[in-house]
Amino acid sequence: MSRKPYVRQMSKTSWFLTHSRYKNYMLHEVTCIFIAIYAVILIVGLFRLGQGPEAWQGWLDGLRSPLGIIFQILAFIFSVIHTWSWFKVVPQAMRIQRGEDFVPGNLIVGVHYGVLAVISLFVLILAGVA
Amino acid sequence: MARSSKAIPWFLFAGGGTATAFILPVIILVTGLFALFGAFSGALSYETMQAFIGNWLIKIIVFGILFLTLWHVAHRLRVVAHDFGIRADTGVAIVVYGLAAVGTIATIVALLNV
Amino acid sequence: MSTRTITMEVLRYRPEQDQEPFFQTYTVPCDPDWVVLDALNYIKDELDRTLSYRWSCHMFVCGSCGMVIDGEPKLGCKAFLKDYGDKIRVEPMANFPIERDLVVVIDDFIEKLESVKPYLIPKEPRTIEQGEYLQTPAQLKAFKQYSMCINCLLCYSACPQYGLDSSFVGPSALALAHRYNMDSRDVGRKAREDVVASHEGIWECSFVGACSQVCPKDVDPAGAIQQTKITSAIDYVTSFLPGGNR
Repeated sequence: MSRKPYVRQMSKTSWFLTHSRYKNYMLHEVTCIFIAIYAVILIVGLFRLGQGPEAWQGWLDGLRSPLGIIFQILAFIFSVIHTWSWFKVVPQAMRIQRGEDFVPGNLIVGVHYGVLAVISLFVLILAGVA
Repeated sequence: MARSSKAIPWFLFAGGGTATAFILPVIILVTGLFALFGAFSGALSYETMQAFIGNWLIKIIVFGILFLTLWHVAHRLRVVAHDFGIRADTGVAIVVYGLAAVGTIATIVALLNV
Repeated sequence: MSTRTITMEVLRYRPEQDQEPFFQTYTVPCDPDWVVLDALNYIKDELDRTLSYRWSCHMFVCGSCGMVIDGEPKLGCKAFLKDYGDKIRVEPMANFPIERDLVVVIDDFIEKLESVKPYLIPKEPRTIEQGEYLQTPAQLKAFKQYSMCINCLLCYSACPQYGLDSSFVGPSALALAHRYNMDSRDVGRKAREDVVASHEGIWECSFVGACSQVCPKDVDPAGAIQQTKITSAIDYVTSFLPGGNR
């Protein structure tokens, strides 16, 4: 009996389009592109801050430009997607065993959103009263 | 099969992912609302920001957040490149981690200059 | 009991006569409580004796009947026809070479499984006179979930990293390594680490999580791998400190 196993190749570049779970994965993976660009914007801002008031104003004006506004809207959406997808999987990566039971995943995720709310509120208040 | 050194960038990826998950949405919200409506213009004024970032503790915190963010996105970009079919993993790693290193040094220089 | 007529599109491949696989269509009168495996058995009994596929227990504990049904990796015995339309597409599991029809070559997995030393490595050999190991319910709970793996390989079929690079050790093997690493009777984590913590081990995983989504026994191999990443990364870093082992 002669064997001739047949190998089906998956597309290396478009495999993620074949199922919704792969599309969701790619969505949270590509958040890093927007986060990277935003980090660069922040670093440039730090440089401008050190270069004096006119340079700083130039950076602020860049934020308020149409491109800056569009990018920040997108960056915000993608950062929220990152936060949501990151929190969602924490219970899988970190099982906390107490005796014979495990801390419920919902509780772990809930605590994360609670901390997110506290940090966000703190920053907003700090920025609001300054 | 030898133990992979991928553990180290992964640690930074995990730390950066956590840091960005908690802090990034509100920061983008602040700059975004400023861009759209001029909100927080007091906080983002030159005098206030100069005094704020001039503080050494703040410099350390800002550096920590940017450092973790840079190395998080670097590692994730490496994985994304692999997922998009780019096979030259070593080359990609050198590029992304190299850029993260450049970004790290730039952050230090910028912060020292404020 | 009203029968339902289901059109089954099944991928065929006969190595002795086919150059490549093709879909063959069968019309099957099905009982409403049937699973896909029942429909395949009907085809083999009544319509086409040449159809080849693996199955055994018919109750999702043996792990034999893994296949892709309407694009989703599933056990044939756990895919209830009432959840499907009148046309069902059945293929062999992805990411494995096709031997014949729905039968895939799983030699690669067997090698990977053996390489992670999926057996207890105790601190010292234990004699019968010493009696049994004692383990509290809490110690059992620490690894029990990962012991439920039935090696059905649906996780490998779903894992895109395994599809992109078949040198990846893979979800099931790594979950089983974790099962032994978490067992209080076992001290083999270091012995397994050369394979588990290699580039082709846990570090090939990018936490897509598809494996855990398709697992019919809720093993959560993705969780096992992420937990292993944390302990392995700590191991790796501390091995450089004085007293660490390299």
